[in-house]
Amino acid sequence: MLTLERVTKRFGGLTAVREVSLDVRAGDLLGIIGPNGAGKTTLFNVISGYYRPDGGRVVFDGRDVGGLPPHVICRLGLTRTFQLVKPFGNLSVMDNAMIGALTRLGRVRVARLEAERVIATCGLTPHAAARAKALPIGLRKRLEVARALATRPRLLLLDEVMAGLNPSELAGMIELIRRLHADGVTLIVIEHIMAAMMRLARRIVVLHHGEAIAEGTPGEIAHDRRVIDAYLGEEFVLAQA
Amino acid sequence: MASLPPGRRAAVGLLGAAALLPLVVRDAFVLDSLILILMWGALSAAWNVAGGYAGQVSLGHAAFFGIGAYATALTTARFQQSPWLGMVLGVALSVAAGGVIGYLSNRLRGPYFALSTIAFSQVLLIATSRWRGFTAGSEGIPVPFRPGLATLGLGHVAWVYMALVVAALYYAVQVWLERSRLGYQLAGVREDEDAAEALGIASRRLKIYAITLSAAMTSVGGTLWAQYVGFVDPFYVFSIDLSIRFALNTIIGGIGTALGPFLGSMLITSLETYLRATFSGVKTGFAGIYLVIYGTALVLVVRFAPEGLIGLAARFAAAWRVRADA
Repeated sequence: MLTLERVTKRFGGLTAVREVSLDVRAGDLLGIIGPNGAGKTTLFNVISGYYRPDGGRVVFDGRDVGGLPPHVICRLGLTRTFQLVKPFGNLSVMDNAMIGALTRLGRVRVARLEAERVIATCGLTPHAAARAKALPIGLRKRLEVARALATRPRLLLLDEVMAGLNPSELAGMIELIRRLHADGVTLIVIEHIMAAMMRLARRIVVLHHGEAIAEGTPGEIAHDRRVIDAYLGEEFVLAQA
Repeated sequence: MASLPPGRRAAVGLLGAAALLPLVVRDAFVLDSLILILMWGALSAAWNVAGGYAGQVSLGHAAFFGIGAYATALTTARFQQSPWLGMVLGVALSVAAGGVIGYLSNRLRGPYFALSTIAFSQVLLIATSRWRGFTAGSEGIPVPFRPGLATLGLGHVAWVYMALVVAALYYAVQVWLERSRLGYQLAGVREDEDAAEALGIASRRLKIYAITLSAAMTSVGGTLWAQYVGFVDPFYVFSIDLSIRFALNTIIGGIGTALGPFLGSMLITSLETYLRATFSGVKTGFAGIYLVIYGTALVLVVRFAPEGLIGLAARFAAAWRVRADA
């Protein structure tokens, strides 16, 4: 479904993403982890059309989408969320979801039904009339997912939707992601916190300094020497500090 | 009627009152004020389509107003053709100009976009005031008065209804925008362009749609204004003052609301007319006092009612309901 072939993105002298290759098949739930600054969000920005790759190819459904604008990529069936959530702040939760739904649906009335459906899926029904900017962060993360879901993506890119959530919100979000996966959405999930990812992903890619240093099941990743050195070690040091 | 939201009911009430006024009052001063309130209201509504609904805050809308005004002045005075033809030409030129400015300033956001629109209107001002052979330059052009609807030479009462039709039409365009797919998508672009793109919205193309629609509406307003006033002066029709007036009426009334531009126009236009009448003649030292009022009103609104008169009304209504429930 999505294939990255040696994708590279540079900013001046800094190579944020270096020759990353990966393959996502329909039905996958792929995790991408890595410490801060590893290039996770940059990779998402390249895949979703916000950055043009400086090297390599991004192939979605057999089509090279590298450099296409984000709205075209979304219409092809690949939608992303933002780590720093970008709700339409002055609009209601319902209107936020409707704007997503209107991408596939021409009629406002039909889009409202679709919006109600995704809002219910994401557990936002009690907040449907609330202004998006009035929501607490946990619900804003859910809104980010709901809005993306309303565009009916076949591949959904979730950028740290679990960061900053309290334990009960986190459990709810994990449950939501599992449900979306069970409903047939292919997912790539970026996460900074390893524990959450271990419970969720089938397959994990580890990014470090812009490079994919390891790929495997959560169990394999946890015992990979390079990962422990690069990532867990750092976490450990940070935890001690 | 009872099922209509309060804003719609207020709009129907105000437009209805405006329609009835000429039946009872024949005073030229009152009718003139009413015509100006409706015209500036409609023009502010036209601005609101881009500035309010799409978030493309322009301070150069006088450009489209001036194009509409000059289109009719030149068509009628220089080529002895119908002002309606002038209106159509003005719309065509304004749509083209709006498309060009929208395309060129597509990547600019916020104040940078506003600056580019100011520059555009200033370019037109310089061009028209220097091109003496065609536009008569800074002297301006009188628009010939030929009585009749076909020549847009109307009396005061007829002008009230003409302005009323345009005001109602522009109000309807805004209501349509609020409910349509385009309106929802423009709201997305206004709130967060990156997020809108991620959700499949072709934000740049939509911004150009909004500007061209707004430009066309503004141009029609410019044509009607020129026919009503009978004189087109480049330093007035392309002035930044005028662009600010459209924006200010809308912001004071309630930006991004259908009724807001009209409420703002009611307040500002009537205040200005009153102050001009009061302080004209002997007390010419106060001739510019309406500018002080503009500034004061803007400061007060931004500080105490950022959502304008509409927001203020909604707050009072909510407080009233709370008290009624208690």
